[in-house]
Amino acid sequence: MPVALEICRWIYATRFSTAIRESVWLFPIIESIHVLSITVLAGTIAVFDLRLLGVLMKRDPVSTIARQVLPWTWAGFVVMLVTGTLLSIAEAATNYYNPAFRIKLILLVLAGLNPLIFHTSIFRRVESWDVGTAIPIRARAAAVISLGLWSGIIVAGRMIAYLEKP
Amino acid sequence: MRTNSLLVFCRWLATTHLGIAMRDSTWAFAIVEIGHLLALAVFGGAILLVDLRFFNLGFRTQPISRVARELLPLTVGGGVAMFVSGFLMMTNGPVRYYYNPAFRLKLILFAVAVAFHFTLQILTARGRPEREHSSAWLRIGAAVSLVLWLSVGVAGRAIGYV
Repeated sequence: MPVALEICRWIYATRFSTAIRESVWLFPIIESIHVLSITVLAGTIAVFDLRLLGVLMKRDPVSTIARQVLPWTWAGFVVMLVTGTLLSIAEAATNYYNPAFRIKLILLVLAGLNPLIFHTSIFRRVESWDVGTAIPIRARAAAVISLGLWSGIIVAGRMIAYLEKP
Repeated sequence: MRTNSLLVFCRWLATTHLGIAMRDSTWAFAIVEIGHLLALAVFGGAILLVDLRFFNLGFRTQPISRVARELLPLTVGGGVAMFVSGFLMMTNGPVRYYYNPAFRLKLILFAVAVAFHFTLQILTARGRPEREHSSAWLRIGAAVSLVLWLSVGVAGRAIGYV
């Protein structure tokens, strides 16, 4: 048996995982926080991406928008990570076989790499394109990729329940 | 016996081409629901950033009127997208939704949230930056707005459980 599957089955059998999974209230509440916090994480990212595409708040420097919005994005990320981990623990064994869950994890890694590359490269030279309409193609590409990845993550997340094999 | 016109409307909706299509298609409801989630991300993010501004958080340095104005297309467009996708989901089984207490509550809360929040955002967007001042009323308004929208979301989640 693959190591990952053994680990997932072991997690699934723990009292902690079972408690969340079988509780009438706990799983729905954790899931609700997870779903509603999409607005804090993906919503704020979307607004920043729209600024990168020059769609809104064009009068404000990109670096200012980043400084103002991204702390809230990080707060949303923490909530999503904690609730997502708890949900994954509760469904560890069934998620292992779920293609939607696997795709979501891959997209999450990519969604982490995209801003990492953005912030360590083109964003380092933001002073030269902070204001005005001449936003570099690499910044705009990062924004489009970000919007695409997070949309994919949301779709994959919703598909988990549809593709669950008992 | 008096017939409830709302129930009559729901029964009629179920017989329309739209109602039948939504009910019979295996993928239509899922696609619309995903649209509802994607719209929620953008709509909710914009609402959050507008209300945060009233607390002098987030877009702190920009005039309140400018933030309210710049994010109005997202909140209005997002709100419309939420309503349309929600309506389409409801046509999957109008009578079932009619009898769902969480759905009824959500619609009432949605109406109140829309009336309250957009009055606040539109009035603020029309203001002039030089006449702006941080006021306790704006903060209270933002808090009420956030609580209302959160309640809409929670009621929406409850639909599947009651």
